[in-house]
Amino acid sequence: MEDALELRDLTKVYGSLTALDRVSLSVPPGSVVGVIGPNGAGKSTTMRLILGLIRPSGGTAVVLGTEAWRSGPSLRRRVGYLPGDLKLDGGATGRDTLRYFGLISGPVDERFRNELVERLEFDPSRRVRTLSKGNKQKLGLVQALMHRPELLVLDEPTSGLDPLMQREFLALVREAKAAGQAVFLSSHVISEVQHCADHVAVIRQGHLVRSARVAELRDEAPRSVRLELDAPLTAGQAEALRQAGLAFRAADDPPGPLRPGDAVTVVEGQVSGSPVALLGVLSRLGLVDVVIEEPDLEQAVLGLYGQAAPVAEGGHHGR
Amino acid sequence: MAGSALPVVRHTLRRSRVGMAGWSVGLIAASLLYLPIYPSMGATGDLEAVVSSLPSELVTTLGFASISTGAGYAQATLFGLLGFVLLTIAAVGWGAAAIGGEEESGALELTLAHGVTRLQVALEAALALALRLAAVCGMLLVTVLVLNGPSQLGLTPSHVAAGTVALYLLSLLSGLAAVAAGAGTGSRTGSVAAGAGIAVLGYAFNALGHQAEATRWLRHFSPYTWAFDPAPLANGFGNGAWGGMAVILGLCGVLVLVAAVGLSRRDIR
Repeated sequence: MEDALELRDLTKVYGSLTALDRVSLSVPPGSVVGVIGPNGAGKSTTMRLILGLIRPSGGTAVVLGTEAWRSGPSLRRRVGYLPGDLKLDGGATGRDTLRYFGLISGPVDERFRNELVERLEFDPSRRVRTLSKGNKQKLGLVQALMHRPELLVLDEPTSGLDPLMQREFLALVREAKAAGQAVFLSSHVISEVQHCADHVAVIRQGHLVRSARVAELRDEAPRSVRLELDAPLTAGQAEALRQAGLAFRAADDPPGPLRPGDAVTVVEGQVSGSPVALLGVLSRLGLVDVVIEEPDLEQAVLGLYGQAAPVAEGGHHGR
Repeated sequence: MAGSALPVVRHTLRRSRVGMAGWSVGLIAASLLYLPIYPSMGATGDLEAVVSSLPSELVTTLGFASISTGAGYAQATLFGLLGFVLLTIAAVGWGAAAIGGEEESGALELTLAHGVTRLQVALEAALALALRLAAVCGMLLVTVLVLNGPSQLGLTPSHVAAGTVALYLLSLLSGLAAVAAGAGTGSRTGSVAAGAGIAVLGYAFNALGHQAEATRWLRHFSPYTWAFDPAPLANGFGNGAWGGMAVILGLCGVLVLVAAVGLSRRDIR
């Protein structure tokens, strides 16, 4: 099946600044790809290139089989876009705004539009300038979603939404995915996309530094492990723990602080990937308590943010 | 898709209802301020006496030469002065908001991300400007026709129409200059500067061109001269008025073209 979105060596140069450098990735229909990166990494530039608002300096953005910059209005009727910096006519009401965007986008099913307005608890009778950031964001989401576009391009979609509305948004994304729509969304933190995205692309300073399935990232992400033992760790036990994948301070390091209760030794470390191998070793230790935390994707991604070299080949999603 | 033609025009007009009403009220007020006092000012010759005491260069500069006639009075006070100023401000304001203002505020991005072409957005912005100005000028035309009798101006209705069309085209030119500058640069300030610049230079060239033989050539480059030198309120569409209007209309067309090309070829900010 043809990809809903395919970026091939997409590059954007502003004078001496390379905002985006040979980024390649694809989003198949019915999938959700999240692009994450720090502010100014090139996320919004990527999205503006996809919408044909700016012209690529190199490479192409192929949207629903058509090159974005050369595409006509019929293509954009099949795309829904939420800008990262959403600016709307302040004097118009939400209803006016939705009517206007309805006229210039794909055919809008009014029932579905009203359902969106209700689910996001948006009040369309108020003038845009009286809306809070979160409510403006809801208006932006409704206009992006209301014509059930084949491709959704959402720049920081959850920004300004309260946790309840974030959850509603995630539900909407899952429904879009189930209906076969492709979703390309961005965030500066992975926690916002990890629950709805199948794939994650990490960009930093215009480079795609990682492209992976969320499950893959989760497998690699470090989990914090904390062991409380009733006796000091022997050299053999320490070696066994290391063999099982636990990275922690050397065994002859002074033990963790003494706490009330039976624990005399505290071992804190990190395990990457599955902690199952560790469990066998743990059963042979005099454990007082053990804590193995959820994989910390944020930590994994922050590591990528600091990574200097870009990946040699553009990542390819969803194949 | 009936009922969805010209979406940008329709949305813009809908959003400008208050503005159009405001500018109409302004022009009606300006008409009421000047025209009803014509019988006690221009027609009695009092004003002419004052004018004749002024240096003749100043009189022609201000356009007061035929102030004792109804047409000359209406031209000097309303069409050539306050009405011109008000309509120019309205036109430049709307023209600058259309693309430059929208882009500078960031709102244009979302419009262009929808099912419209840039060409369409530029053309519809120009059309929305032309329609709004036409509506306001229509109010001016009606007001002047209503006041014509009571104010003893003695204007021929078709000549009032000619004068209104001349004023309409003149303000449209400034407004379209603002649209074109906005389409080319995406800057609201640049749009206002372009629109106001055309109006101010046009007025200044006309005024300076009237002052001395040496500066007479300036008037060839003044849209204000093209529109009003044939005195359309006195002579209707004759006396070269058509020609002047046609030149302005042609320039308007060029500006629309510039706007369309300017918006189509560049990155949106």
